[in-house]
Amino acid sequence: MFDRRLVTSFNWAFFLLVIIVSLVGIANLYSATSSWSAIYLRQLYWLGIGIVIVTVVCLIDYRHLEYLSLPFYGCSILLLIAVLLFGKTSMGATRWISLGGFNIQPSEIMKIVIIIILARYFSENAHFLGFTLRELFVPGLILCVPALLIMKQPDLGTAILVLFIGGTMALFSGIRRVTMFVLAIFGMFTAIGGWFLLHDYQKRRIMTFLNPERDPLGAGYHIIQSKIAVGSGGLTGLGFMKGTQSQLSFLPERHTDFAFSVFAEEWGFLGCLILLLLYLLIVVWGLNIAMRAGDRFGMYLALGVSAMLFWHIVVNLGMVIGLLPVVGVPLPLFSYGGTSMITTMIGVGLLLNVSMRRFMF
Amino acid sequence: MKELEKGVSIRIRLMAGLFIVAFLLIGLRAFELQVMQEQEWDELAERQHQKTIPLTPQRGTIFDCNGEELAVSVDVDSIYAEPRRIADKTLASERLSKALNTSSKSLQAKFARNSNFVWLKRQVNPRQSEQVRSLDLEGIGSIKEHRRFYPNSSLAAHLVGFTGLDPKGLEGIELAYDKVILGRGGYLVMERDALGRGMVSGDPHVEGATPGHDLYLTVDKNLQYIAERELTKGIKEAQAKSGTVIAIEPSTGRVLAMASYPEYNPNAINRHKPNDWRNRAICDTFEPGSTFKIFLMAAALNEAVLSTDQLFYCENGSYRVGGKIVHDHKPYKYLTPAQIIKYSSNIGSAKIGKLLERETYYKYISDFGFGRKTGIDLPGETIGLVRTPDKWFEIDLAAISFGQGISVTPLQLASATAAIANEGYLMEPFVVERVIDGHGHAVLKKQPKVIRKVISRDVAHLITRMMERTTEEGGTATNAKVPGYRVAGKTGTAQKVDPITGSYSSDKRVASFVGFAPVESPRIVVLVVVDEPQKGIYGGLTAAPIFSNIVSQAMQYLKVAPNQPLPKNEALPPLRQTTVKVSEPIRYPQNFDGEESKAGPRMPNFHGLSYRQVLEQMARLDLNVSFSGHGRVIEQSPAPGVAIPYGAKIWVRMMPPS
Repeated sequence: MFDRRLVTSFNWAFFLLVIIVSLVGIANLYSATSSWSAIYLRQLYWLGIGIVIVTVVCLIDYRHLEYLSLPFYGCSILLLIAVLLFGKTSMGATRWISLGGFNIQPSEIMKIVIIIILARYFSENAHFLGFTLRELFVPGLILCVPALLIMKQPDLGTAILVLFIGGTMALFSGIRRVTMFVLAIFGMFTAIGGWFLLHDYQKRRIMTFLNPERDPLGAGYHIIQSKIAVGSGGLTGLGFMKGTQSQLSFLPERHTDFAFSVFAEEWGFLGCLILLLLYLLIVVWGLNIAMRAGDRFGMYLALGVSAMLFWHIVVNLGMVIGLLPVVGVPLPLFSYGGTSMITTMIGVGLLLNVSMRRFMF
Repeated sequence: MKELEKGVSIRIRLMAGLFIVAFLLIGLRAFELQVMQEQEWDELAERQHQKTIPLTPQRGTIFDCNGEELAVSVDVDSIYAEPRRIADKTLASERLSKALNTSSKSLQAKFARNSNFVWLKRQVNPRQSEQVRSLDLEGIGSIKEHRRFYPNSSLAAHLVGFTGLDPKGLEGIELAYDKVILGRGGYLVMERDALGRGMVSGDPHVEGATPGHDLYLTVDKNLQYIAERELTKGIKEAQAKSGTVIAIEPSTGRVLAMASYPEYNPNAINRHKPNDWRNRAICDTFEPGSTFKIFLMAAALNEAVLSTDQLFYCENGSYRVGGKIVHDHKPYKYLTPAQIIKYSSNIGSAKIGKLLERETYYKYISDFGFGRKTGIDLPGETIGLVRTPDKWFEIDLAAISFGQGISVTPLQLASATAAIANEGYLMEPFVVERVIDGHGHAVLKKQPKVIRKVISRDVAHLITRMMERTTEEGGTATNAKVPGYRVAGKTGTAQKVDPITGSYSSDKRVASFVGFAPVESPRIVVLVVVDEPQKGIYGGLTAAPIFSNIVSQAMQYLKVAPNQPLPKNEALPPLRQTTVKVSEPIRYPQNFDGEESKAGPRMPNFHGLSYRQVLEQMARLDLNVSFSGHGRVIEQSPAPGVAIPYGAKIWVRMMPPS
């Protein structure tokens, strides 16, 4: 069963890259929070768990996931429904359910599961001519049911990410031009109609994104403070532990969604550039793994994971530097949080899994 | 499947391209924020996390023409608290109340305020500041501020003026040049966090402070000292109320000295009445009396309405004009114009005034600068009262001819006289010669300015000659003579208008003397005004001797060689101590609570010093000391640190070291 080649073909370089970024993230958390909490230690512990997860995911041949995808999907949908029925509510959103002392967030699990199930669907059904609207009905349903359930929690950020991940995979597998056009029109109407379904705070966030100064002490506060932090970092930054915006508590959520602002303030544009290159390297490497995957399922799997990481990074950074509205999306490996760490590490594990088994045919 | 595989590879590359583009956009945005707009965001950041407290600016130094300090800024400590950082407020207030000499209750009230910063006491003396420092309390700090200090105490106080605590110039040059001399105080900058708490790390620091410009005056500290000393002495002898001395360099209009009595100490203004702060030389007006006759004569000669050998009948001392009677102090019959000046005949003057006619006379009065500002760079100058000729009755023309019924400021009178000394050119008087910025560059350099030519050179010489004769035998101003030099001048004794009755008072007079020396090439014009003298009410008796004393010392100080034979049995008076009573070396003002620092030098500590060391120190203070014994000093009088009273005997006793 166990193949020696698995060890020799393990992608150590990619793994190391991920660990380096994680450690930079923990150092950044230390700077942002050490004055009032030992969050960085807990993140270190989560990183340990993450490494265990990577190992476990690598041990199971990803091809088994093809058969397990439907049961996974079914269970995840059930969990999402369970969240709506018996979930734990905090801060106006119901996102967690308790399972014997553990708090799990089914929407996070869904990000991975949607990759697996769509990878199976597209690897079996993709064809040369591209999908028509009718052919897209099934994957559309697979994608929209969980997305709607997540939106109902409400968790706009995750719902959008799930849609983005699925959308990217669909786009990649090929869609006919006419279909694309129809979908674009449909999407526009949905967006307009969806506006009225949005919660007040969500509308406010989008309005505020368009004009942060509208409400500098309220909803615009996050964006303005984050931009001040990033901007005052300048070319070379203010130095480790010396960022005034973060050290003086002007920056909100500086250990979670706005962790990058702290980094940008303290390390400046040059620091940002290096970090951006590291992240770009991760996602492009992910695409490379997809290109060299042993089979179609593996390729779609790697592609989905790369898309997941990419969208997380882009949406988070776009928000932090004021290019996109504030949506609660963490920066993988950088923002504090066990859930984000586990999801990211499962993804990393899947990439490594596909990468090490590319010669197994 | 081959085609599809090929398509896949293209699509993956395409996707990688999209990823790169997205990251590029993020990178560009970061560049925009962090590199292109850095300054804006920096300012926003600073604005929200820094709290600033304005500090007292530093004022530039005011120097005399030789670079002697007249007003300086000294560093003083101000004590502040950051109440949120004080752990035990009760303990802190108790310990501080002793050091700062304030009640602990008021300190506690300050600590109780919900603020990051509060001044506890500004501009404390070094001892208090040292005590506070030694307490070493968390949340209590001190910052250097600047305080104005006048090292020469009352010297030139009316001219230099003084500042408030804030520290804006309130009087004199301090006020006139406030904008130039006042630096930027800058701010005490403190970090604070989003909740407004002062930051524990990062001590407050000062930002944006610049020193003010320095001023160099035309005034000479030594001449000023001579003027003040002689004025004070003369006023005390005459038992007068107040007085003024102005000394001007006639060729340029530079004010060499400007003194007023009573004096005040600008280091302790609150101990003096505001009335004493007034610069009488430019703020007060008086009826000039006979000194004004020289301007009448100058106008008449310049207009050629009379000749120098013309005789005027002086009516035996009583002359009826416009229903009133004009008197001379002695009856005269026929006088030449020169004699009218020499004996100061009112009747003769009235007749010349009639010859001149009011319109022409008025023109000359204006041209000499009366009834208008002289343009001096000092605040609060008044213009006096010169009525227009259409309002003059016959008696007014007569009265104005001998200087009554018209009021002038001392500076106008001195400046007009300087025009006669300066061959007819009226100069604009000024006191600030140069303004120097922090890098030693001159920001302003004042050039002498001719206002107008009032009379011809020949007339100016004629008037000078007439003025010289007043000091000769039989003249009204023999007391103004200066041994060794030719001087020109004119006395004045004017009746004062009684403010209650509105008519001339019978006993209140203003005695004055204005003149210059040496006649051949005038170096200095000096005006002396003595208000309400009780003894010797005439200008020739009170003001003229003061003039003489000042000019004789000034001539020696200015190194003008004497060219006249000295009277018999009279040696040239020794040049008296003209180096000014310098206060102790400037470190800190002695007291900040308004106690007057004693004028005059303080006695140094000589204990253990040798004969030569003592002499060196005393020479620096320009004082004489008597010695007894030899070896090292074991005893001295006055005691160390004590202000040396004027004229005190200073001695030291010495013993050989055992």
